[in-house]
Amino acid sequence: MKKVFIFALVLLIFSSMFAADVVYKRDETLYAGGGMWAPPSNWSPITPWNAVTGTVGLLYETLFNYDPLTDTLIPWLAESGKWTSNKTYEIKLRKGMTWHDGHPLTSKDVKFTYELAKQIPEIYYSPVWNWLAKIDTPDDYTVVFTFSSPRYHEWSYDLYQNPILPEHIWAKKSKDDVLTGANEKAIGSGAYLFETYGTDRMIYLRNDNWWGNKVFGQPKPKRIVYLTVSSNNVALGMIMKGELDCSNFFLPGIPTLKKTYTDIHTWFDKEPYMLSDNTAYLFFNTTIKPLNDPNLRRALAYAIDPTIIAKNVYEGQVLPSNNVGFLPIKGWMKFYPENAVKQYGFKYDPKTARSLLDKAGYKDVNKDGYREAPDGSKFKIEISVPYGWTDWMESAKIIAAQFVQVGINAEAKFPDYSKYNDDLISGKFSAAISNSGSQMTISPWTSFNWLFNSPISENMYNGNFGKYNNQKLFDLVTQLNSTPMDDTAANKKVIEQIAEIFLKDMPAIPLWYNGMWFEASTQVWKGWPSEKTPYAYPTTWGGRWQTGGVMMLIGLKQ
Amino acid sequence: MKKYLGTKILVYILTFVFAVTLDWLIPRFMPGNPILVLVSRFSGLPESARVMYSYLTKAFGLDQPLWSQYVNFWIALFKGDLGISIYLYPRPVLEVLKMAIPYSLGLMIPSILLSWIVGNNLGAIAARRKRLDSIMLPIMYFITGAPYLWLGMLLAYFLGVVWDIFPIAGAYSFSLRPHLSWLFVGDFLKHWILPFLSLFIVQIGGWAIGMRNMVIYELENNYVRYLETLGVKRKLIRKYAFRNAILPQVTGLALQLGTVIAGQVTTEVVFSYPGIGYILTQGILNQDYFLIQGCFLFIIIGVLIANFTVDLVYMALDPRIRFSYGGEV
Amino acid sequence: MSEIMFFAFRNAKLRMGLIIVLFFLLLGIFGPMISKYQDPLDYVGQGYQPPSKEHWLGTTTFGQDVFTQLVYGIRSSFFVGLVGGGIATIIGLVIGFLAGYEGGWLDELLMMLTNILLVIPTLALLIIVAAYLPYRGVFIQSIIIGLTAWPWTARAVRSQTLSLRTREFVNLARISGRSHMKIILYEVLPNMMSYVFMVFILQFGGAILAAVGLDFIGLGPSRGISIGLMLQNAVLWNAIQLGMWWWAIPPGLVITLVVGALYFMNVGLDEVFNPRLREM
Repeated sequence: MKKVFIFALVLLIFSSMFAADVVYKRDETLYAGGGMWAPPSNWSPITPWNAVTGTVGLLYETLFNYDPLTDTLIPWLAESGKWTSNKTYEIKLRKGMTWHDGHPLTSKDVKFTYELAKQIPEIYYSPVWNWLAKIDTPDDYTVVFTFSSPRYHEWSYDLYQNPILPEHIWAKKSKDDVLTGANEKAIGSGAYLFETYGTDRMIYLRNDNWWGNKVFGQPKPKRIVYLTVSSNNVALGMIMKGELDCSNFFLPGIPTLKKTYTDIHTWFDKEPYMLSDNTAYLFFNTTIKPLNDPNLRRALAYAIDPTIIAKNVYEGQVLPSNNVGFLPIKGWMKFYPENAVKQYGFKYDPKTARSLLDKAGYKDVNKDGYREAPDGSKFKIEISVPYGWTDWMESAKIIAAQFVQVGINAEAKFPDYSKYNDDLISGKFSAAISNSGSQMTISPWTSFNWLFNSPISENMYNGNFGKYNNQKLFDLVTQLNSTPMDDTAANKKVIEQIAEIFLKDMPAIPLWYNGMWFEASTQVWKGWPSEKTPYAYPTTWGGRWQTGGVMMLIGLKQ
Repeated sequence: MKKYLGTKILVYILTFVFAVTLDWLIPRFMPGNPILVLVSRFSGLPESARVMYSYLTKAFGLDQPLWSQYVNFWIALFKGDLGISIYLYPRPVLEVLKMAIPYSLGLMIPSILLSWIVGNNLGAIAARRKRLDSIMLPIMYFITGAPYLWLGMLLAYFLGVVWDIFPIAGAYSFSLRPHLSWLFVGDFLKHWILPFLSLFIVQIGGWAIGMRNMVIYELENNYVRYLETLGVKRKLIRKYAFRNAILPQVTGLALQLGTVIAGQVTTEVVFSYPGIGYILTQGILNQDYFLIQGCFLFIIIGVLIANFTVDLVYMALDPRIRFSYGGEV
Repeated sequence: MSEIMFFAFRNAKLRMGLIIVLFFLLLGIFGPMISKYQDPLDYVGQGYQPPSKEHWLGTTTFGQDVFTQLVYGIRSSFFVGLVGGGIATIIGLVIGFLAGYEGGWLDELLMMLTNILLVIPTLALLIIVAAYLPYRGVFIQSIIIGLTAWPWTARAVRSQTLSLRTREFVNLARISGRSHMKIILYEVLPNMMSYVFMVFILQFGGAILAAVGLDFIGLGPSRGISIGLMLQNAVLWNAIQLGMWWWAIPPGLVITLVVGALYFMNVGLDEVFNPRLREM
């Protein structure tokens, strides 16, 4: 036994002498955090929501990237893509692209990726086949998608969201392996290779043979060490020590710290410091009394002052939302329904809130200090927020206090996350804050599709948690989806109608924009994107690298 | 003797079955549905969420009635299969444990053992030296009263950030790949020392106080007086007293060692140390049935082995127990 | 009795421990009345304020008064210690005495129960209970801590009883035909008085620390404030990095002082109960 041990020890020492790169050079390595919250365990592009951040973007790539700052689809694996008729979309792939193992990447891989979801309907993008008719590959570099009923908005989203898989590897996998395999040592086509991982880190090694080196330039960091950080104090400490180059956490105190630590870089130098990335909404359960009354919900919209939340809870790191929850990005604002907002918009005004409530019949009849419903019954609004999400907990308390100000009995409630989630999906809440589907995308349709998700069923997995039922609205959302993206006027017309219904009925109230949290350290890496040099959207969150993260890696300087 | 061991083993097997059943049952009483948590992390398009939901429910076998899930659980357990983690999907639970438990053990076992040894010695010394007792122990009491996380937070900030002597996160530098060399071992120890200290310092006091009180209590016993009147040497008396006093301390140690896997979650969080405690907490918050079961299986086995060892040690240390087991003395 | 009281007053350790514990106990009871603000969670001023006349211990990021939070937190800590520690001590003592004294199958059965309880995840229990109640309060937390913390005591008391039951005076009592309950109460218990005190004080302090730990990892009361919640918030909002020592240091210090003083008292009490210690 002892001998075996000594032998193993000697072997280990020997092997370690030959093992290259056991110490990563500081000036070649980028340390990043904020997009990984659990030990790395999954690199499958088939389950991207659960995969380690970078699986899509660094390892696997999409046909296009999307830059929200300029609202452009950046041709990525595709050299170009266009609608050749209103039902066909043609993609020309770049030539000379290879997978990490040297296999060429061709149109067959693209076709395979989509057809895999036809064979295995459990794959998340398989519903595309409800409106996609067929895929043709006239040659190795051309892919023609023919749609039965094209959904232009959804397709634009898919173009930069769905990673392309290597056929020569995935065709051999069994159905279970495709669906549940961890896909360790993933072979993709991207700028980085799967190197190794530990319980609290994922390590990517630059792919020096990346096809994109000639097109976009080579990403600067030789390695990316992506960290799991379990606590705010550790994250902030590491930023102060200059050990974390790029972080996408929400960290309290950045405005204060920036004064003493000048090497902490944020997008804006002053408030709000961060770009806006998604909108927090207050959902009302529209199936219970009296919250099923649009007059009540509309009155409550006047009672909320999100500027207090932005100031007190976020120290000015976020902005209050506009009336329709539209993110202040080009791709959405070009469709902004200003007429609907002008006509039906609301603003913080407790006086109006009170008079609206009075008019709708909500009066304090029994003189207990709170208004009763028009039928005289008492009610209380409970605002649910997951326990432990402290910034949201404080926000919910502020909103509840603001409701009380106009005479509505309200209280913040903090169930554990699993309970919150369960209540939200099954509609067992009276009011709740959520932002799960409002993030920055190429089209506001994704946000509408989440807000007004249909059909109404027992469990609402993806949006419309308050079960707001309005077929006309649902039809408009579908109509928007099937309106060509470049027809701004037509899109805007539909969006005006959607916004009108939304503002009149107020099934949810947009509150504030959560930031694209981004705190970089300029100690080692320089040239971070910022307001002045807006060359990339600074995100390293899972499934978001292709909206700026990779471009940021290319644009960095030493 | 045989009868004693036989009964013990039977009881331990029964305990094992009951405890495992309970730990299988408890997560299933938790509110919410773990698959929903998993699916909801997917902010994709709604149509696919439904498909994934039904697929995953089937894949985890959660569509079956409870009793058949229970039977399947035992069958799988005997095959050494602990299932797949939901939280760390699709990683097998056994792999999760293998990856994280060494860090927890590396932190907890030295801190528990060293604090036990040091603490007991201090306690035994303090029990007979008044000066020491009145100067050193008071400080110890207050340190023992400190919450681990608070002490850890202060250590991390002052030694880690302000003076920058020790690293504040991870089990080894983020710039290192694990390999065997002095560099790596040194780096590992450097990361290890702060979390270790925050546990060690706080635990010493508890053992010291326990030991001190036990020794004093023993020294005060009739048999000691009897021995004294017989003129037995003080050294020998102390030996006897010490031997009796250490019994509860051994129990304490065994129990502490048994629960080592759950670890000090707060320490792991404060130092971002990749042990099992943090993962288990996340597993519980995410209702990861299989991960919870797996972790607690290890804890159960740990506690039972520890207890069994205690029983054996007791037999060795205190023969009265052995005899009394046969019937009334 | 008077002799005990005499020595109790003369014992410096006991006196000091008692003074500290009493001080914080009084602060917990009357603090909320002397504090300027009623609700510890209310935003009563500017954020980031260092200690001043207005805010004795400064304010949090959002402008909550730290002193008000602290006194309410102390109150809930004492509550957890008393209820949680009390439950754990009583259950632990009863089970430990019975198992140790009666022995045999009762012993095995009780120890089985103890071992099973030892491995029940407190965290999971808290989540389950919280789900069936409108909110998770300090009371529920204390009860669950009490119900899961006793096995430790039971094992230790059992082993003590085991060695006591074979001693001469217990045997004498048994021969004289006294009931088991009486023997436990009159012969075994008094001989372990200092031990019982130690157990309670350790459980009291342990329950307070356990609550702090639970609060910190996100299973604290979902309504109201506690010391653990203060610490959790101080860490989450980076109090110490941002120079808000008045938010991060006092809650931990109070816990340290209270629990430390409890241990101190324990030693003092020992000396009072065991005259020989005084001679030493």
